[in-house]
Amino acid sequence: MIARLVEYLVVSARQVTRKRMRVFLTALGIAIGVAAVVGTVSLGEGIRYQAVEAIKEQSDLTLIEATADIRGGAIQFITPAKIDELDAIPHAAASSAVVREAYATKRQTYLEVVGIDPGGIENVIRPKYLKGEPLATGSRQAVLGHDIAETLQRYEGVRLGDTIPILVRRYDENGMPVDEEVDFTLVGVLQERDDAFDQVMLIDRGVAQELRGDDTTFDGVLIRIDSPDAVFAVVDDVKTLGLTAEGAFQQIESVNRLMDVVVLILAFFAGVSLIVGALMIVNTMVMSVFERTREIGITMAIGASPGDVVHLILAECLYIGLIGGVLGDLLGVAFSGVINTFGRPFIVAQLGDTFSTFSDGDITLITPELLVIGMTIAIALSLVSGLYPALKASHLNPVTAIRTGV
Amino acid sequence: METIIETIHVNKAYNDQVTALADVNFAVGKGEFVALLGRSGSGKSTLLNILGGLDAPTSGEVHIGGRRVDFSDRKALIALRRGSIGFVFQSFNLIPALTAQENVEYPLLFNYRDRAARAKRAADLLSLVGLADRAHHYPREMSGGEQQRVAIARALVGDPLIVLADEPTGNLDSRTRDGIFELMRQVNRERETTFLLVTHERELGRRTDRTIELLDGSVVS
Ligand SMILES: Nc1ncnc2c1ncn2[C@@H]1O[C@H](COP(=O)(O)OP(=O)(O)OP(=O)(O)O)[C@@H](O)[C@H]1O
Ligand SMILES: [Mg+2]
Repeated sequence: MIARLVEYLVVSARQVTRKRMRVFLTALGIAIGVAAVVGTVSLGEGIRYQAVEAIKEQSDLTLIEATADIRGGAIQFITPAKIDELDAIPHAAASSAVVREAYATKRQTYLEVVGIDPGGIENVIRPKYLKGEPLATGSRQAVLGHDIAETLQRYEGVRLGDTIPILVRRYDENGMPVDEEVDFTLVGVLQERDDAFDQVMLIDRGVAQELRGDDTTFDGVLIRIDSPDAVFAVVDDVKTLGLTAEGAFQQIESVNRLMDVVVLILAFFAGVSLIVGALMIVNTMVMSVFERTREIGITMAIGASPGDVVHLILAECLYIGLIGGVLGDLLGVAFSGVINTFGRPFIVAQLGDTFSTFSDGDITLITPELLVIGMTIAIALSLVSGLYPALKASHLNPVTAIRTGV
Repeated sequence: METIIETIHVNKAYNDQVTALADVNFAVGKGEFVALLGRSGSGKSTLLNILGGLDAPTSGEVHIGGRRVDFSDRKALIALRRGSIGFVFQSFNLIPALTAQENVEYPLLFNYRDRAARAKRAADLLSLVGLADRAHHYPREMSGGEQQRVAIARALVGDPLIVLADEPTGNLDSRTRDGIFELMRQVNRERETTFLLVTHERELGRRTDRTIELLDGSVVS
């Protein structure tokens, strides 16, 4: 089969080289379409890449939290057994179970509370302290995230070392809420992290469980992953355990979801020009078949089946596709370079603040996959376009083709 | 003598109006060199195309090599053309994009022989027709007579039982014509390939084993 394909390609190569100019121009038609797709998609991919890089740079990507999830109608609780399973996930370097609470200050500032083992803070969250020191186990101390610390200082005058009276909501035996006032001492304030911990009050997990009156269940497990490249693998493993994963990686997921749509739309509009290229191939090959009517008739007379004729014509189209694909990829890379040169100042002006990486990176990105896709489009399109001329040729009646053909 | 072509009550009509062949009956033996004579429009090409499985008769039977040709079986017709028949046409026989050697090899491409065997066989046949030194020339670089020699080599390449030649010398001057005719005669004698040669030159007909003459679609002698 392959050997025969090669044979057809050899014969078709002769036909193609006889009409170099025509083949070149037709291939150029396809190439322009491919270049448009490669160029515009490279812009989309470039922006995607820069956005993801910016997220990686600005956020703590390797910190995720596994939380309870409802699977098939049953809640998967974070049990000690689950925690062991999470710890066993490859690349999960450290983990710490947490309880989450919502407290409020006496002046009604909402406090998002994470109860965590102080050792876990150091190993998993790995915070940098703006001021103060870590929590001590078992005591009613608090470490505040950067933003919430600022809020409390500004509106309630809370400073390091102060005792903060906090309302903890509990429920009596009749299920009625009772707010109990508990004093916490502010021992530390974290540096700005640009993630959810900026808004969080960290307290000792044992204290949180005691206030809750339940020391057996947890709300989540914070996991520190040993490498940014392993994040999505760990997330998948967490999901297979029936839990939900949250973290900065979700920003990457939403960027990818958005850019998938953007790239698809870009590719679609650029791809419209491929229709022109396809029609050029149809036209060239129909003309070529018409010009060679007698030749095709003779080919059939000397033993070619209609299938052989289809293959011979398609092999010629394959060359147009190959040439178009190579040219298209080359032009596409050039086009991408043009977009980068002239489009970058504009994009940097628009998005430079959001994505600092734009100012020193390319806004377009040519990946090997993109070039392979460009090539594949060209070849597939040439074969599809060649189908009609090829079938037309194979349906010629050899007698009339030989009698009337030129 | 073994019969290699036989037609029994072969009729061919176009659109119920034009009768191209009317009750054609004849037989050709193995190794015969037969001229098919007749005026223009008498049905010579039509008959040749039917014998080669390119066209189907309206009615009647055709037997090639002792077997009845089933004109409804497209695969069998292709096999017939590949294995038993060699065609030579009047002019512009060759594929312009291919060299002499490649043109001669071309039918074998569809017979799927291996490449080396194909090249060897094509080269042998080019020598036979005296064009070994023109193997890599394109049709446009050769004279009409040379092109017809290549076409004859191509017709022979599949080792056919029968060569059907439709006015192969029609476009040639008389000396070249004689050369081509003698070449076919020589192949016919040496290889016992059966030849059916359409011509309207009676003088050529006299130099064959036998002539069959068509008049308005019927065999008259
Ligand atoms: N496709 C067709 N439709 C209608 N009539 C046809 C068709 N093909 C051939 N004919 C008719 O059939 C008859 C025989 O034609 P054919 O080509 O066999 O003659 P010929 O003997 O080969 O003539 P020439 O010497 O000019 O080549 C002619 O009258 C021709 O007009
Ligand atoms: Mg004729």
